[in-house]
Amino acid sequence: MRTLDRAFSWLLSGRRQAASHLLLAPAAAWLLIFLVLPALGLIALSFAKNGAYGEIVWSPGLQNYARAFDAKYIPVLLRTLGFAGGTTILCLLLGYPLAYFLSFQAGRWRNAFIIGLMVPFWTSALVAFYSWMVILGKEGLLNSALLRFGFISAPLGILYTPFSVLLGLVYFYLPFTVLPLYGSLEKVPRGLIEAAYDLGADRRTAFFKVTFPLSLPGVIAGALLTFIPCLGDFLTAEILGGPRFYLLGNLISNQFLMAQDWPFGAALTCLLLFGMVLGLMAYRRWEPDA
Amino acid sequence: MKKGRGLALYCAALYAFLYVPLVVMTAFSFNDAHRNVVWRGFTFKWYAMLVKDAELMGAMLTSLELAAAAAAIAAALGLFASYAMVRHHAFKGRDGYAALLDAPLMMPEVALGVGLLSFLVRAGYELDFGALACAHALICLPYTVGAVRARLKSVGNERLEEAAMDLGATEWIAFLKVTLPLAMPAIVSGSLLAFTVSFEDFVTSFFLAGIGIVTLPIKIYSMMKFGVTPEINALSVVLLAATFVLLGLNAWFSSRSRESARA
Repeated sequence: MRTLDRAFSWLLSGRRQAASHLLLAPAAAWLLIFLVLPALGLIALSFAKNGAYGEIVWSPGLQNYARAFDAKYIPVLLRTLGFAGGTTILCLLLGYPLAYFLSFQAGRWRNAFIIGLMVPFWTSALVAFYSWMVILGKEGLLNSALLRFGFISAPLGILYTPFSVLLGLVYFYLPFTVLPLYGSLEKVPRGLIEAAYDLGADRRTAFFKVTFPLSLPGVIAGALLTFIPCLGDFLTAEILGGPRFYLLGNLISNQFLMAQDWPFGAALTCLLLFGMVLGLMAYRRWEPDA
Repeated sequence: MKKGRGLALYCAALYAFLYVPLVVMTAFSFNDAHRNVVWRGFTFKWYAMLVKDAELMGAMLTSLELAAAAAAIAAALGLFASYAMVRHHAFKGRDGYAALLDAPLMMPEVALGVGLLSFLVRAGYELDFGALACAHALICLPYTVGAVRARLKSVGNERLEEAAMDLGATEWIAFLKVTLPLAMPAIVSGSLLAFTVSFEDFVTSFFLAGIGIVTLPIKIYSMMKFGVTPEINALSVVLLAATFVLLGLNAWFSSRSRESARA
């Protein structure tokens, strides 16, 4: 008992660096085994060749990367960038007024509104997208309502289009944009806005000359925090995109689960990770609190 | 204040957009019709069908076991890691550890899924429940670390530990008698978040669940492939309700955690 007490006390006191490393060792080992090694494995795999029977042939080369920029796959890469960019812009445009409302006008209901924003975020995306399927489908809620009221004569094909994918992405990523926006609007010194009013500015001038420029760090953070995860999104297009409007994440999944071309899938994943690292570096550079 | 009212209306519309799918699904899960679009009366029969479906109940049990295992592992790993991160004086490699601990949040789920899939298969490891639990513990880890780290950072705790040690307790006794009880609300709330993350996870399980393992989200997905049915609505509502309960408990524990930090 004595020795155990002393051993644990030595670990917890952290007077020696070794103690800190030992306390962190289980978590670090977990992350190394289940995150870092698999990631390194993917990098190694991306330089290998796919054999005739889906086996892996280790002959290092860049053929998988060359293939990723083949005319066949360029559209997928561009589409992914386009959807991520479009989602980011839409989320910023839709989310900014909401963040402004939360920061300046929500008053004592503010916390309730913020929790309200987090609830759809925490609920299963699978379930939410399924419900959008029910709403948007050919025999779905929206089409049957429009038909009944005579707005249309034949059901619209809304589901499995670029529109439904974009809708799903905006639905899911809106909180990712709004929260950083809200955070930076909270930091705008209220005195500066009042000073602008005192100096004769009207609401519009005060907003565009004071509030908006001061909230720009939040705009950049919100944009990157939306854009980066959007690049790797898998579920939205898997459910709302149908077979034609798939994104990079779905292409990767297909290489591993259907086509059994792991090296090519690994190369695509490495491209995705490379894009995300670039994005994260940009985020670090412009991080509001840095 | 006309302008302000316009903004409030706009925000109400945006919230409506966020809640429409949840409301629609819940409403139709009580609808006595096979097709979703027409309301034919109130019924519980879809829920009754769920309970009778043995396969589904099996999936539910798998998900619960998985989430419990993942949350327990993530809580244990997270407790010691965050203790060292917060309490210990600057040590070499601390920033590296911090980046590593947050990495699962940054990694796209697809990359994590295919990375683990190829790694485990090439290492000759069977994709069984244990493998999936380990992967879930990984994605849960940032949540337990985040909750416990925030709690340990509140200054009051450290003084209490010092007081205990001034009164003759060793670090270990001070940890057991002071730190652990004080950190408990955060450990519980972090574990509840971790449980929620694991219970709802679809993407990681999608890549790693071998043939034998069916979690609730995987079951929902495979039912969706056969088309839209009222049972899926009911099942989704069950998943939603579970999430709400877990998040409510989490909010309760984290508010207790903040209150006692102030006291």
